[in-house]
Amino acid sequence: MDAPVSNPAASVAENPPPGFRPINFSRDGTRADFNTHVGTLYGKRGEKGTPDAFVMGFRVQPHMCNPVGGLHGGMMMTVADLVAGMGTNVHTGLRRFLPTVNMTFDFVAPARVGDWVEGRCEVVRVTRNLAFAHIFLTVGERRILRASSIMKVPSDPAAGRAPPAKS
Amino acid sequence: MTEDPLFRPPAGFVQVTSSGGFSTHNGPYWERPAEGRVVRGFHALPRHANALGIVHGGMLTAFLDSTMGVAVHRLVHSRSVTIRLVADFLSPGRVGDWLQAEAELIGVDEGVAHIRASLSGPRHLVMTGQGSFALLRTGRPVRYPKPRPATAAPLSDSA
Repeated sequence: MDAPVSNPAASVAENPPPGFRPINFSRDGTRADFNTHVGTLYGKRGEKGTPDAFVMGFRVQPHMCNPVGGLHGGMMMTVADLVAGMGTNVHTGLRRFLPTVNMTFDFVAPARVGDWVEGRCEVVRVTRNLAFAHIFLTVGERRILRASSIMKVPSDPAAGRAPPAKS
Repeated sequence: MTEDPLFRPPAGFVQVTSSGGFSTHNGPYWERPAEGRVVRGFHALPRHANALGIVHGGMLTAFLDSTMGVAVHRLVHSRSVTIRLVADFLSPGRVGDWLQAEAELIGVDEGVAHIRASLSGPRHLVMTGQGSFALLRTGRPVRYPKPRPATAAPLSDSA
């Protein structure tokens, strides 16, 4: 059974740009995990070997905002964390769950309700144990968050399969 | 929201009246009054978890960030926005855990406050973080608290 991927908390029209499809994070279709709870999060696959090979996107909703009406830093960090893990998987073909070891976030600019935010990552290096990636969140041409991530590459390939990203 | 009706926070914690969509959507958060630092906690629920059933790094980071922001407000008496946050993930938090964050001021000038924070679960330290917060002008002069000594002791064990 397919879980309802659209977040009932959303009150602004989502209108994802062409190519973006909601990501279904729920494995068994019954559980609302954090990704589903804060979303709706969308994904787009582009040409392999380009920064667009994996793009995550979302429409800023009131339930993602701080009291001043700006996109909450916690939401930006959540998405950057996800883009790091899922993006690194797509860019490298690793297909593992990559637990985050360290992340550094620079909040460059705000975003407002109704903005369409996109996240892309660049893999800097993958070693036997660690993966290093850069992540940018953007609204149009404007960068709003710069992040750097260090992830652990599990030694046992079967230990943690990447969660299904049916975008 | 599926709350646990039997849940009671540790002694001294009161629920925070959160404002803002994100905090209301992901809370509730709890706070215990403390001198010179901010102590906050939340009860990890299934909606805070990722596909592995552990608390999502984004939730942990969001919670630590908000605790740090509150620390700026309480200790520097200024509203602020996060400009940089560094987070080290040491061990996972699990659904059902009481996760508690402590934040303290490590330095401030007229423009930026630096905060150090840690988050622990019932078993161990879950994450540590450091943040830089740009102070927003409010018309009130900023009060400068005494800086910490150069050889700052590690954060006291919460929990």
